[in-house]
Amino acid sequence: MNLPKLKLSKDQTKKLALSAMGFVVLLYVYFSFFLGPLQKSRAGTFAQIEDRQKKIDSSKAEVNKAAALERQAKDAMARFATLKALAPEGAPIAWFPPKMKTFFTNQGIDRAVARLESNTTFKQNELAAWTKFNWLIDLPQADFASVGKSIAELENTQPLLTITKLSIHVLPEQPQFQQVAIAATTVIEKR
Amino acid sequence: MALHLNLLHEEILELRQRQRDPLKIGMLVLSSCGALLFLYYAWNAYQTLEIKSKLSSIEAEWKKLEPKVTQAQKRSAELTDVINTTRVLDDYIDNRFFWGPFLEKLSRCVPPNAQITSMEGSLGDEDKGGGVTVMLDGVAAAREPRSAAEDLRQMLLEQLGKTYHDVKAEFKTLEDVETVASIGGTTVPMSRYILSVTFNPNAAKPVATPAVGRRKAKTKDE
Repeated sequence: MNLPKLKLSKDQTKKLALSAMGFVVLLYVYFSFFLGPLQKSRAGTFAQIEDRQKKIDSSKAEVNKAAALERQAKDAMARFATLKALAPEGAPIAWFPPKMKTFFTNQGIDRAVARLESNTTFKQNELAAWTKFNWLIDLPQADFASVGKSIAELENTQPLLTITKLSIHVLPEQPQFQQVAIAATTVIEKR
Repeated sequence: MALHLNLLHEEILELRQRQRDPLKIGMLVLSSCGALLFLYYAWNAYQTLEIKSKLSSIEAEWKKLEPKVTQAQKRSAELTDVINTTRVLDDYIDNRFFWGPFLEKLSRCVPPNAQITSMEGSLGDEDKGGGVTVMLDGVAAAREPRSAAEDLRQMLLEQLGKTYHDVKAEFKTLEDVETVASIGGTTVPMSRYILSVTFNPNAAKPVATPAVGRRKAKTKDE
């Protein structure tokens, strides 16, 4: 089969070359300035969607976790509130000595004097909002049985109080009475 | 055979040449390609718009969810803090040494022919094991006053050993004194002692009375 032979004039060849160049330029412009940025933008949007979706999923998990934690923490919250309620409002130096005086008076021991020795912070991060107060409670005249009962009662009613030192001496003039010194530590929330 | 004459030969040739014009064909191909590329671009643009609208809806959902999440995270941190603090406080409460039961035991250990005149008790640091040291100063009166004091030491070892661990009781001083005591009309010699008692209460949890709020509080003398 004989293909018809194209006979192009010089002018036509020039035009054809120009058209081919135009076509290449068109393709370049199309891919570089139209389709390229469009696809780039699409990929960016996809990435954003994926990122947001991940955030939403993790957030939903976080919300569910918080709800579950809320249910689990009921006991701890009640316990925490009870422990917090053990210390009245105000500076401990203002309420602790009178409280001790009243406590020991109710136990049949008069003349109880409580003094603040020092206060320290805890090393544990969990107790960063709590302070340790060291007190010295003097009972100049008490009998051993009352002291024992009072100390037991104090330890049972004040769970955040620890007796670190206990000193009991017989009064030389009145051997039926003892002189008692109690070094106690209380844990009180900072306010 | 019929004779076929082409009188418009030149015109037809010109027409055919015009139809086969490579420039025209090229322009047609170019236009077709352009149209295809335009359609492809339009399709891509449509998809991008669709994706952008999806992103907008997700953004709206996130905006709705974000305050809740922030609140939940804050609450979660707060609750975790409360739980941890309560746990540490509970440990602190549970690891306390209770002097009430100890004093009760001590009072039960002292026989009628011995007296304690002074007691100095101290609780060791938690870091160093939290041991308890008690110094007892007293007097014993009997025919054999030293054996009366020894009875007290033995009784302390026995009774405290039931509740506490590593109980040690040793005399720092045990000496006869010139003073005499009258017990039941009989004059008996006396001796003075200083007794050092050490023990570790940490392994003896049952002694610790429960704390307020979790378990019912009770006194040692119930």
